[in-house]
Amino acid sequence: MSALFSQNPLMNGPNYSFSDTPVSHPNEAHGELREHRFNPYTDNGGSTLAIAGADFAIVAGDTRLTSGYSIHTRYSPKVFKIGGTTADQKDATIVLSVVGFAADGTALRERLDAACKMYRYRHGKPMSVNAAAKRLSTMLYQKRFFPYYVYAILAGLDEEGKGAVYSYDPVGSYEREMCRAGGAAASLIMPFLDNQVNFKNQHIPGSGEGHAIQEREKKPLLREQVEILVKDAFDGAVERHIEVGDGLQMMVITSQGVEEHYLPLKKD
Amino acid sequence: MCTDHGCASFIDKAYRCDQPEWAMPHQAEARLRVDEPHEDQLLERPTHLQHTKQPFPGYHQKMEVLLGITGKDFTIVASSKAAMRGATILKAQDVKQRQLNKSSLLAYSGEAGDTVQFAEYIQANTQLYSMRNEADLSPSAIAHFVRGELATSLRSRKPYNVNLLLGGLDPITLKPSLYWLDYLASLAPVPYAAHGYAQYYCLSILDKHHNPDIDLETGIKLLNMCTDELKRRMPIDFKGMTVKAVTKDGVIDIDFDDDKVVKSA
Amino acid sequence: MDTLVARYSRPTYDETVTEDMEEELLDPVASGLSLKFAMPPVAQPSSWLRSATDDRMNPDCPIKIAHGTTTLAFRFQGGIIVATDSRATSGDWIASQTVKKVIEINDKMLGTMAGGAADCQYWLAWLGMQCRLHELRHKRRISVAAASKILANLVYSYKNMGLSMGTMCAGVTKEEGPALYYIDSDGTRLAGNLFCVGSGQTFAYGVLDAEYKYDLSVEDALALGSRSILAATHRDAYSGGFINLYHVKEQGWEKHGFSDTNPIFWKTKLEKGEFTNVTSELV
Repeated sequence: MSALFSQNPLMNGPNYSFSDTPVSHPNEAHGELREHRFNPYTDNGGSTLAIAGADFAIVAGDTRLTSGYSIHTRYSPKVFKIGGTTADQKDATIVLSVVGFAADGTALRERLDAACKMYRYRHGKPMSVNAAAKRLSTMLYQKRFFPYYVYAILAGLDEEGKGAVYSYDPVGSYEREMCRAGGAAASLIMPFLDNQVNFKNQHIPGSGEGHAIQEREKKPLLREQVEILVKDAFDGAVERHIEVGDGLQMMVITSQGVEEHYLPLKKD
Repeated sequence: MCTDHGCASFIDKAYRCDQPEWAMPHQAEARLRVDEPHEDQLLERPTHLQHTKQPFPGYHQKMEVLLGITGKDFTIVASSKAAMRGATILKAQDVKQRQLNKSSLLAYSGEAGDTVQFAEYIQANTQLYSMRNEADLSPSAIAHFVRGELATSLRSRKPYNVNLLLGGLDPITLKPSLYWLDYLASLAPVPYAAHGYAQYYCLSILDKHHNPDIDLETGIKLLNMCTDELKRRMPIDFKGMTVKAVTKDGVIDIDFDDDKVVKSA
Repeated sequence: MDTLVARYSRPTYDETVTEDMEEELLDPVASGLSLKFAMPPVAQPSSWLRSATDDRMNPDCPIKIAHGTTTLAFRFQGGIIVATDSRATSGDWIASQTVKKVIEINDKMLGTMAGGAADCQYWLAWLGMQCRLHELRHKRRISVAAASKILANLVYSYKNMGLSMGTMCAGVTKEEGPALYYIDSDGTRLAGNLFCVGSGQTFAYGVLDAEYKYDLSVEDALALGSRSILAATHRDAYSGGFINLYHVKEQGWEKHGFSDTNPIFWKTKLEKGEFTNVTSELV
């Protein structure tokens, strides 16, 4: 589910962009099946992250865009407001983040935005997050046989006003979660989030011996805490992953609307 | 000395070494691989085979069943009776086991030829040790010796492709032991073990039902649970099991009902 | 002449569904679960897809799809037990530990999910839609046999296109009693008493077969289902997370928890003395 593309040195060894992947395909040696060289994808790197709180949700992404070892731009946003009344998305309540292949990400964003706007026009009300989440899933699955190379995360407030984060794999399987990291540094950020957001492997000191020790009680974090957590997660990822850096774009969704912040990250 | 499997000659050869005693470390002598041809006698593998890294177990090798279970005062070692080559069962009463000394038993599966050669080589050397020292090697000592041999073999030109279970009972403490070894020379002491596809079906059963304090009868019942499941779910007939147990009275044969019909759910 | 004109007046490339946004926006039905899929502009879409998504064939493939599972379901006198683990992996990476692999097709019928997560989610949701349509058209509940056949026929129509699913449909109806079907993306459809599906299937079969009886009490059946999944999470690295347990009855299904395996494992080991291979000291 929302399987993460994990081509980072930690997991898969050196990271080649698709276009300059060495010829390793057995079929290519024989000149047959040339069709396999149809390769409309590239990995544009970068990382995204979303955390749900009790009455808010935060979606963040770095702004670097790479291809192989080249950095093409230092400001290319990965996090977008979706489904506002107008193009400026001033009254948007849903945020989408996309990471993977940037062009597919843009295409997907535009499609979901159009669908949400159409819904607003037809029904005279904005789309709920859970409806948008299902819609995004079917949208991704429509391209099951020619997938969008995109790891998407959708966030907003549910009908009870609670923070909601939905994460996706490239072909549309999805799940509502408390937090999710996606993209190049997902394998660096996700374990940190497991520990800091879901309190995984944290126990109450002195609560007992051996297997009697109790887990730390789970409760949603405050907005200030989450903002610090997000910055820390990205600072850590920038330190150890070449495809992450330059700037941190953060969207905070509350009942008041969506606030956007931009924080600098290391630029080397 | 064992004459059943023709290992007398091996022992003879390992023992009558051309070099003077002092020129050779005691252990190295005993560990000589008896069938290793002289370097200049080695046959080149056909060129079209040279690049193929051979030693990966194929399908029917994994269909061979090896099971081992320890209990309070015994170790059961069981192996399937079918000797398979390609799509044929060549023999339905094969015994894929060799007794090494009074209190240890080796079961093997893997590449045809390699298996018996390697097991008898180990058998010969443990027996040689017993004769020289008038004391048996302990199961743990044998396990580590075998592991060393497999590790050396793995890095040689022609590695043995053999998976093993070594069951034993410490002659002094009477503690049962079981060692799991594979052709990559991994060694693990375990309370129960399996090799091949049998692992996938039997380990979960043993995880649930095994207990270190069981008696031999319960051990056999456990083994029956495992073979029942294999009869139910494995796609080929492995022709029943040869079952032996190492106890304080040495290695004993155990009557095992191979004709039991198992119904599927 | 018309054919000639048709041939030469074609646009340079076929407009595929993706580019056809207008239709999707204007037709509310097109935005639902439809059978229209975008295809890559190549002669062999399936082999292209495999090279882009099948990490077993091409480890450098860009899109890694989540795999690896243990799911089981069995019929017994009190209905059907359905149990799954909750781990999703892509390669060695654990993509999620909290996947809901039991899909509630409707409030009477359950499906399980093994193989491609998206394939199972989408097509079982689609099956739920077909079941509802059947109810509206025929004014009675669909049988499990018919529902599973709809799914089997659907996946068969996509055979060799790259779908990957191993699923079970479980339901209890007046006519059929407890009914259980196995359907996979090869097109296999089997009715049966007991199925385990996924990379941990053999481990689950081991525990389940040994103690399975049709006359099991509800309590024992639930315990056996849960213990079989635990066995698989213990021995299969691609399975783990939480044990998701359901009981299907004629009145509908009942959920029996989504429980963390770790405390259950230690409870089983320490209180029942099982898993004796796990020791606390180094050997």
